[in-house]
Amino acid sequence: MDNLLEFKNVSYFYQTKENEVKALENVDFSVKEKQFTSLVGPSGCGKTTILSLTCGLLNCSSGEILINGEKVKKHDDRIGYMFQRDHLFEWRTIWQNIILGLEIQKKHKDEKSLAFAESLLKKYDLYPFKNKKPRQLSGGMRQRVALIRTLVLNPALLLLDEPFSALDFQTRLKVCDDVYEIIKSENKTALLVTHDISEALSMSDKIIVLSKRPAHVKEIYEINFEGASPLAKREDKDFGKYFEMIWRNLV
Amino acid sequence: MKNKKKKIINYSKARKDYLKKIRKDKVIVLFGQLAIFAIFIGLWELLAFTGVLDPFFFSSPSRIVTTIIDLAKGGNLWIHIWTSLYETLIGFALATVIGVVIAIILWWSEKLRRMMEPYLIILNSLPKIALGPMIIFWVGSGTGATIVMCILICVVLTIISMLNAFISCDSDKLLLMKSMHANKFQILFKLILPNSLPQFISVLKINVGMSWVGTIMGEYLSSKAGLGYLINYGSQILKLDIVMASITLLCILAAGMYFLVSPLEKRYKK
Ligand SMILES: Nc1ncnc2c1ncn2[C@@H]1O[C@H](COP(=O)(O)OP(=O)(O)O)[C@@H](O)[C@H]1O
Ligand SMILES: [Mg+2]
Repeated sequence: MDNLLEFKNVSYFYQTKENEVKALENVDFSVKEKQFTSLVGPSGCGKTTILSLTCGLLNCSSGEILINGEKVKKHDDRIGYMFQRDHLFEWRTIWQNIILGLEIQKKHKDEKSLAFAESLLKKYDLYPFKNKKPRQLSGGMRQRVALIRTLVLNPALLLLDEPFSALDFQTRLKVCDDVYEIIKSENKTALLVTHDISEALSMSDKIIVLSKRPAHVKEIYEINFEGASPLAKREDKDFGKYFEMIWRNLV
Repeated sequence: MKNKKKKIINYSKARKDYLKKIRKDKVIVLFGQLAIFAIFIGLWELLAFTGVLDPFFFSSPSRIVTTIIDLAKGGNLWIHIWTSLYETLIGFALATVIGVVIAIILWWSEKLRRMMEPYLIILNSLPKIALGPMIIFWVGSGTGATIVMCILICVVLTIISMLNAFISCDSDKLLLMKSMHANKFQILFKLILPNSLPQFISVLKINVGMSWVGTIMGEYLSSKAGLGYLINYGSQILKLDIVMASITLLCILAAGMYFLVSPLEKRYKK
């Protein structure tokens, strides 16, 4: 398996009026194709910064970020981004929300893209809600719509920035399962940011633990739990052991 | 509203009582509103009729109605109403369009926005009526001056409110658009403008009122027709009935325009 994403000694400074904020210090890791990788670290350590750098919204101060061996570009089609809140546009229907990206990239008349969007809706049980407004959907469904909105553009690498943290606990476990299933069945590579260790453990093949700001990689764990879904993986006998190891590393 | 109508279900007694109470309250409020109107008009008429209020200074409902009928028979009334309505509508439309366009330009360029900020604040706090004499020199007296006054009164607030709405858009929503490679035009038309629709409707409602203020001010300053002119004229020839009749018509027109705009709010504000 090849590396899809590589961070090579990446540092990043935010410039503000008052001072320079060092957010990342020599961050070094890689994400293999089809792998589910999580970044775990305390709040404010620089996780979102890592994702912004990956999708080219920010440029690293030093070091290198490679996707498929090439440097990241500003508008890279290979990357899809999913946020903490779903950010569905209330004035658009579910269908219009889903094809937002296609519209922006002028592909909304392209039969193949539209057929793909429609097939995703059907596959993930949202087709009956196609013409509904976002406010008529539950939090979990909205987050699924947000994921499909990202998948419609067919990115190779999905960046997920704490996508479940705005949901209540019950919904969260269910949506976790849903998102995991969608990502696996669409054969995507995912980089998940979270500060919830058990969430990371239940979804990931690999967990990267970050230090406090400025973030650097503290430890990398390869995970190999039994179970087909995040919920099932939580039952693995080593779950608690790993949880404790990572938790110790975080504090 | 129609699609919200529930199918006939067997409601519990508590629910029935609750719905009944809501309906009853609604009737009481409506009745109260009508009663206030009737009492006000009746008392006014009575006091004027018995001479407690001098009808010369305070007019009376019946005198207002006869004055309006007389004015209408004279044929000039329609010209006055039409002039004011036309000035207000043009002023309202131009101020709204100009205001939104300027707000878009200022949203587009942050540097320009910062340059313009102190001037916007000054313009906002300046009583626009002070510019009245200048307006007459610039565009001449009459309809033009009134429309300019109308625009001046509405436009600054429109710019400030719309700009505020534009720049208060959720930064993650902007990030979402950028992560899908949206350019600035797309961000404007697909996110910023639709996202600001509720504030836009508020601005419309405020502008309805403000544009009437502008029109009447403008007509006081200099005009040959319009309800503002009629008010001025009535007071100069000491016919306060004409003044009161004009004010009554003004109330009806302004309220009418407000009720045309307010259904938009129900439709889009959510
Ligand atoms: N635009 C910015 N300007 C200045 N500092 C920033 C900016 N964005 C984030 N930071 C700072 O950088 C650090 C890392 O931020 P972030 O990557 O958002 O953290 P996380 O996602 O891990 O919570 C934080 O301490 C934050 O205060
Ligand atoms: Mg973050």
